[in-house]
Amino acid sequence: MDRRAFLATGAAAAATFTFPAILRAQSRDPIRIGFPLPLTGTFAAIAADLQRGAQLAHEEINAKGGIMGRKLEVLFRDDQLKPAVGAQRTKELIENDKADFIVGGLAAHVQMAINEQTKAAKKLYISVSQSDEISAKPDTSPLTFHEALNPTITSRAMAQFGMQNIGKKWWVVYADYAWGKQNNAVFSDRIAKLGGTILGNTPYPLGKPEFSAHLPKIQAAKPDAILAVTPGADNVPFLKQAISFGLKKEARIAQPLHFLFYTKEGGAEVFQDIYGATHFCHELAETIPESKRYVEAFQKKFNQPPDAYSTYGYSGIKEIARGVELAKSTDSDQVANALRKNREYNHYKGKQYWRACDNKSFQDLWILKVRAPQQVKGEWGLFDVVGKVAANEELERTCAEKGHA
Amino acid sequence: MRAWRAFVRWVATHPVTSLVVFFAVFPFIVPHTSLATQVLTYGLFALGFNLLYGYTGILSFGHAAYYGLGAYGTGLALAKLKIASLWGAIGIGLGAAIIGGVIAGFFCLRRRGIYFAMLTLAFAQMLYFIAFHLADITGGDDGLRGIPLHPLGLFGTSVSIRSPFAFYVFAFVLVSLAVAALKRILDSPFGAVLQAIRENPERAAACGYDVNRIKFVSFVFSAFFAGLAGALEALRLTVVPVEALYWSTSGQVVIMTLLGGAGTFFGPFVGALTFLLLEERLSRLIEWWPIVVGAIFMTFVLFLPKGIWGSFLAWVVRDASPKPPYAPVPE
Repeated sequence: MDRRAFLATGAAAAATFTFPAILRAQSRDPIRIGFPLPLTGTFAAIAADLQRGAQLAHEEINAKGGIMGRKLEVLFRDDQLKPAVGAQRTKELIENDKADFIVGGLAAHVQMAINEQTKAAKKLYISVSQSDEISAKPDTSPLTFHEALNPTITSRAMAQFGMQNIGKKWWVVYADYAWGKQNNAVFSDRIAKLGGTILGNTPYPLGKPEFSAHLPKIQAAKPDAILAVTPGADNVPFLKQAISFGLKKEARIAQPLHFLFYTKEGGAEVFQDIYGATHFCHELAETIPESKRYVEAFQKKFNQPPDAYSTYGYSGIKEIARGVELAKSTDSDQVANALRKNREYNHYKGKQYWRACDNKSFQDLWILKVRAPQQVKGEWGLFDVVGKVAANEELERTCAEKGHA
Repeated sequence: MRAWRAFVRWVATHPVTSLVVFFAVFPFIVPHTSLATQVLTYGLFALGFNLLYGYTGILSFGHAAYYGLGAYGTGLALAKLKIASLWGAIGIGLGAAIIGGVIAGFFCLRRRGIYFAMLTLAFAQMLYFIAFHLADITGGDDGLRGIPLHPLGLFGTSVSIRSPFAFYVFAFVLVSLAVAALKRILDSPFGAVLQAIRENPERAAACGYDVNRIKFVSFVFSAFFAGLAGALEALRLTVVPVEALYWSTSGQVVIMTLLGGAGTFFGPFVGALTFLLLEERLSRLIEWWPIVVGAIFMTFVLFLPKGIWGSFLAWVVRDASPKPPYAPVPE
């Protein structure tokens, strides 16, 4: 290749890189939803599940002719689980890709950064992962919707179920950062209110799951049950140490959330009999018709069952579509008003609704218990659904407590 | 060919003018205006880092500290102290970065090489944990939110910089001024001594220069530029994530500088542009894009250690100039 040919190729390559919009054939203007999520980073597996749910919703909507006759486009962008990147990708989605709405964000801190951009650009944002602040003042806005559960609801529900079914005397082990602290505070408060006792708690640095110094102390206190707020990679090491110290035989263990992927990866030997909450699991297909339809469609498209977070992506996209159809407009304010006015929806597990003051989704949740290894059904049947906590505003802070007048 | 070579040489010898012209048309040739602004701010950050690493020859692995101080200083001034003037807030951010630079420089410069790098890293990580745990002030884990982007006071009037393009122009003017200031520093006798220290600190000391003091001043200047970049980024995103202070931010600026070409004037901007454009484009296509970026980075470090711009300049002037035009030495 001579220099001229090299330069010509280089220029062509640069043009492809910098002017993709020109190369892309434009049909009639589609409705665009920007979807930042951490496709790389610690939560990549959950993000992939979230993405699959959104893809399924996207496909179903377009198969039915789109929204108001316009095609739907969902633009996924990797936020790397970094707030600055999430903010940057959101800015680009809104300013240049002309996204009409934003759905996405996994992890509280990235949601916050995305939310700052959507607030400034006055775009409707449906947040799809746990956070207490996102639907409370000063962070929230009339255009910020929160589809996911949050630490308050999850921990209060777990405390309620736990007091009735697991034990009265508790010990809390929690990772010493925002999410861990919130869960500890809410859970301890609720247990005390319901007449139970918190015998003590063990904060530990997130990502340093070394409990051998703490476990004998916990055992000596003889709790009925332990709440383990040991997220991500800390989960399995905690359980393994609890088993080897004999703690798992002496006390029952619960954690705020169960994830199918993590439980499968850790194995039923480790997770057997551990309680955890979730807003969805594929076992619900056995009892709820909407869930049956969702799980079957998901299984057919992706050849594996959905984990819980897929439904947040699915429901987030479906809610935008519903809002646009109701409002007959893609204007964020009008769509938000339409959703608040027609607050009930049902996409995959029965009725949910938006609370008007804080745009928070209220929904049923379930308590799961992991099966013994010999009782695991097939590759994915790890959970027994042992309880249901129905949608209930008692489980969330009141509008006034969250700063809404 | 000769005209072209002369052009490149002109660019290399008139870096400020070239940079201003380039960034005046830049937002029209990249896919996103916000990406263009990001290149400006990260380029400035890398430029500040390059003053220390590329020109003075000392490797800091904690430049996130000054970037983060600039960002938090500006953000806190607007969000918590309710300062109404953007200029005032930027001033506070810069003040924080300079104070941080003075304190860290005072302690860290007592050691050299890997010990120096580790001390700067430790200092930055210390700030990270402080910001992480002072959640009531800094927002902790969730980052600092609620930074209002007030209109910019300008010669008695006020201008809104909310639109992406207006913000680009604002950043462009500030970065241009910073670049001109840096050029002035490098062209001064002080700048010449910096490079003398990089090449041979013993000899510089033997010539009668107070090497430690000059290194210290260079360190503080470098912190200033990093702080300005942080301040701009805080205003651009109206949020300061706690990761701004994390070691990965320090690592990123090292990568950008090496990729573009350490010790060259344009290198940091070229590096920032390459890195951010690759990240933005590749991450849409493939999930394993960091591997590609890593491979490109390693290729450059191993085979073209002068980086993209440095290698390009060396190639252009390979037989013509006895003196590399990108390292001006005063008469």
